[in-house]
Amino acid sequence: MPVVELNINRIRKLVSGNVTRKQILDALPFLGLDIESEEGDEIRIEYSPNRPDYSTDYGIATGLQGLLGIKKGIQKTPIKKKGNYSIKVDSTVTKIRPYVTGIVASNGKLDDVAIKQLMNMQEDLHDGIGRKRKKSSIGLHDADKISFPLTYTTVSRDHKFIPLNGSTEQTINEILVNTEVGQNYGSVIENAKNVPIIFDSDQNTISFPPIINSGLTTVTSNTKNILIEVTSIDKEAAEDMLSVVVSILQTAGFEFNELKITGNKNSTPQLKEKIMIYDPKFTSEIIGIEMSPSNMVTCLKKCRLDALVKGKKITCIIPRYRFDIFSPMDLTEEIALGYGIANIEPKLSPSTTIGQKNDVTIKTKLISQTAVGLGFLEAMNSSLTSKKVLYEMTKRDSSQIISVLDSKSQEHTILRDSLLPSLLDNLSKNIHESYPQKLFETGVVFSKGKPIDESINLAIIIAYKDTSYSEIKAIMQSLLRTNFKINSETKTSKNNELFSKGRHADIFVNEKKVGEIGEIDSNILENFRIRTSVVGFEIKLSGLIFD
Amino acid sequence: MSQVFHDIEKKILETLQKVPNQTPEQLSTNTELSIDQVRRGIEWLRLKDLAIVDESQKVTFSLGPNGLDSLKSGLPERKLINMIKDEPKTFDQIRSVLSGAGFNVAIANAKKNGWIKIEKNNSESLVSIKEKPIETPEEKLLSFIGEKTISQEQISNPLAMKILLSRPNYIIETSEKTKTISLTDAALSLDTSASSSGAIDVEADVPSVFAARTHPLQDTIDEIREIFVNLGFSEILGNMTQSSFWNFDALFTPQDHPARELQDTFYLENLESKNPATSSQIKNVSSSHNKNWKYDWKLSESQKMVLRTHTTCVTIKHLAEQKPENARIFSLGRVFRNEKVSYKHLVEFNQIEGIVIGNNTTLRDLMGIQKEFYKKLGLTKIKFWPTFFPYTEPSLQTMVYNEKLGKWIELFGMGIFRPEVTKPLGIDKPVLAWGGGIERIAMLKYELDDVREFYNNNLSWLRSA
Repeated sequence: MPVVELNINRIRKLVSGNVTRKQILDALPFLGLDIESEEGDEIRIEYSPNRPDYSTDYGIATGLQGLLGIKKGIQKTPIKKKGNYSIKVDSTVTKIRPYVTGIVASNGKLDDVAIKQLMNMQEDLHDGIGRKRKKSSIGLHDADKISFPLTYTTVSRDHKFIPLNGSTEQTINEILVNTEVGQNYGSVIENAKNVPIIFDSDQNTISFPPIINSGLTTVTSNTKNILIEVTSIDKEAAEDMLSVVVSILQTAGFEFNELKITGNKNSTPQLKEKIMIYDPKFTSEIIGIEMSPSNMVTCLKKCRLDALVKGKKITCIIPRYRFDIFSPMDLTEEIALGYGIANIEPKLSPSTTIGQKNDVTIKTKLISQTAVGLGFLEAMNSSLTSKKVLYEMTKRDSSQIISVLDSKSQEHTILRDSLLPSLLDNLSKNIHESYPQKLFETGVVFSKGKPIDESINLAIIIAYKDTSYSEIKAIMQSLLRTNFKINSETKTSKNNELFSKGRHADIFVNEKKVGEIGEIDSNILENFRIRTSVVGFEIKLSGLIFD
Repeated sequence: MSQVFHDIEKKILETLQKVPNQTPEQLSTNTELSIDQVRRGIEWLRLKDLAIVDESQKVTFSLGPNGLDSLKSGLPERKLINMIKDEPKTFDQIRSVLSGAGFNVAIANAKKNGWIKIEKNNSESLVSIKEKPIETPEEKLLSFIGEKTISQEQISNPLAMKILLSRPNYIIETSEKTKTISLTDAALSLDTSASSSGAIDVEADVPSVFAARTHPLQDTIDEIREIFVNLGFSEILGNMTQSSFWNFDALFTPQDHPARELQDTFYLENLESKNPATSSQIKNVSSSHNKNWKYDWKLSESQKMVLRTHTTCVTIKHLAEQKPENARIFSLGRVFRNEKVSYKHLVEFNQIEGIVIGNNTTLRDLMGIQKEFYKKLGLTKIKFWPTFFPYTEPSLQTMVYNEKLGKWIELFGMGIFRPEVTKPLGIDKPVLAWGGGIERIAMLKYELDDVREFYNNNLSWLRSA
């Protein structure tokens, strides 16, 4: 979950209404925000990816105002239509990044803290709904450095401009190679011959989406008017992103001017609210509290939505940036939050069903009990193990290997097809402990099938100087006889490098091979640095004691 | 009837029959037994009325710093005599040699012994010999003790000792308790060679043995499973390897969602599920994605095989297949995350998830089940906070107060399946879902701060936990 660092005094000022530090700290979890750490006035807060507006203190303050009853309902966003701001979309972008949207925010001021937060929010938006800038990406510019109208078009890769934080002109290709953002996100535009670009009317480069802005339009604490542009491959996602930034800048005190957008499939953003009409009975049934519709309306308003009762239904008005609200179920959650989760009393209804364990669990437990009775300690190993332990050190056949892609841990790359290798690894890590060492494990093993078969195996291992094949065979037969009355036989098997020659066998039940048993070969023991005798067996329980 | 003796007892008896009255230390030397064995043996014999233990106080004396000094150069009164034996001396002259307290002591004792006379002459006092200063009993005792330690019995003149003891730092008096062991008459005549051996040292240390046992983590898993069953939930099992369809698509996770990337989820190399679900399930799920997430859903993405990232894929598949009217079901097992292994993260851990469908499926019921679950685990101080899960709405998390850590910690999550999840699979009623990781609870139980400990299979821990 993403994290944002905030100053509690800044939030208090933004929330206003003489709210205390304690009130804020107590209320934050009930907005769904986890306080990760608290050091003096600086707090770190974890927010959910479905609420990108909570990535700044402006968004959080808006939420707190509602929950604390200081300001309720929607903040309306009037958009002035009179300015001469426009962007024309050239049809050449259709194939690569067809959509652009935007707005001009004016007459505001951002301090350095606010700029930093906005930049972080931009990155969270890029990673989240922007899908690492592939789906949509955002650019903020000092509008006073720009001559309107703008053009969104494409240029060849030898086009030059001074990128953000750069000092000299660079070509598109150079930017893709030399800058960190170029290296990280260059893959989004793949090998396109021509790349997206935004020019102003003086032919100055404003932005090279989705990679980098121009240095010309850098936003600073002196910036009064901001151009926000969003380019994307999905029109809806572009407007989603825009709406979040608008809601934040509005709280920061900006006004908004329309940016007219013309061109193929593009249109001027409306940032229109969504209307949802629904039956309040649904909410009562879900939460389990009889609540009057007018009470629900109050709860919705505390969540900074607007609502009114119309007949037996509630009409809810949802601001554009709350695109996480899909259906009445989402409104129900808002009502629960507005009501206060702490005010909902848990209720214990008697169960009308009788619980039971799965047969596989019950029978596996019986096997464990017998193993413990025979003096074995239970081990638990990962299903994901390493090629080294599973195949190399044990010299086992790896032709049916099942690997995972791109594991971050070298020790967890292969799905196990056997339990014995990990038990040998356990012995190897306990050579300083007293002997005899007797371990067992029951667990899932994997093999290629349709597409993968999973079965439950049992493996047992004994290590001490006087152990022998007879001892392990006696244990194996006792385990299958106890509770399950299964008679097993051992039959000479073809050589297997895991076991000593002439000292291992296949285990048969009703003429069917169910496992292997024997003395572990001294070469294998040497690989594991085990300096005593080891015997073991492994059998497949699936198909034997359960299906 | 012959008596039964332990070898230790036999050795002590035989040694004391030869030389009576020995201390435990002497017995240890003579029997070659350790002092602990001798002490135990004496105790056993005493309980059998065969040995008598005499405890006595032994007082010894040796010279202190002043005594040792006087041994070399005489008591202060002797020093005084030596100074004036040729001619009388004034107080001032004597003081210049015998300074401080030594002067007063010397004058007082010499006077008491009748050795000196003091004459006042003008303003001065003159000291001269009165009588022949013969050796006093104290002086005799001093040289008798010398540098030795002597016992009370060796002192022939107790009065002299009393006098010396009254003078500071001349004599060091020490007293210690000693035990002397002797045999009773019965023991003296015992023939130990005739008695049968066979008794053992029942108090001696023995090597440790370890109980065979189930794994502590497995015990926690079983305990939690038991609680679910008691709450009316029935267990279902499912595969750890799942198609992306059931792990993600059926749970309304869009195909370009970051959680589905290689860096969070384990994909299986070159393996896919040709028919992950029925054609109507695929059709409905894909249209829900297309409609709500507004993108182009691809079957090929849903066919990719993954290691399940939660057990929810098992419960949702069960619901989609069985469509129960009224049920409490749970699924427990390993889940996987492609994470760096650390003290708080494993790539593979155990998760349990329960669902309720049918009657009593309100948010309040869900909270009530949680409360009861934690009560059965012995956790009564709990509260609920809102949170976000991609496939439930509303979503809550339980916070549990841990007395030892003195803080609230996050345990199980819960919520009601989104209609976007249930509707396309033909489930019309609300479904409550709740669950979480089991290692977290086991860590609290076993007071571990490194989760890796559970899978290290370190025998010393398994044997002692």
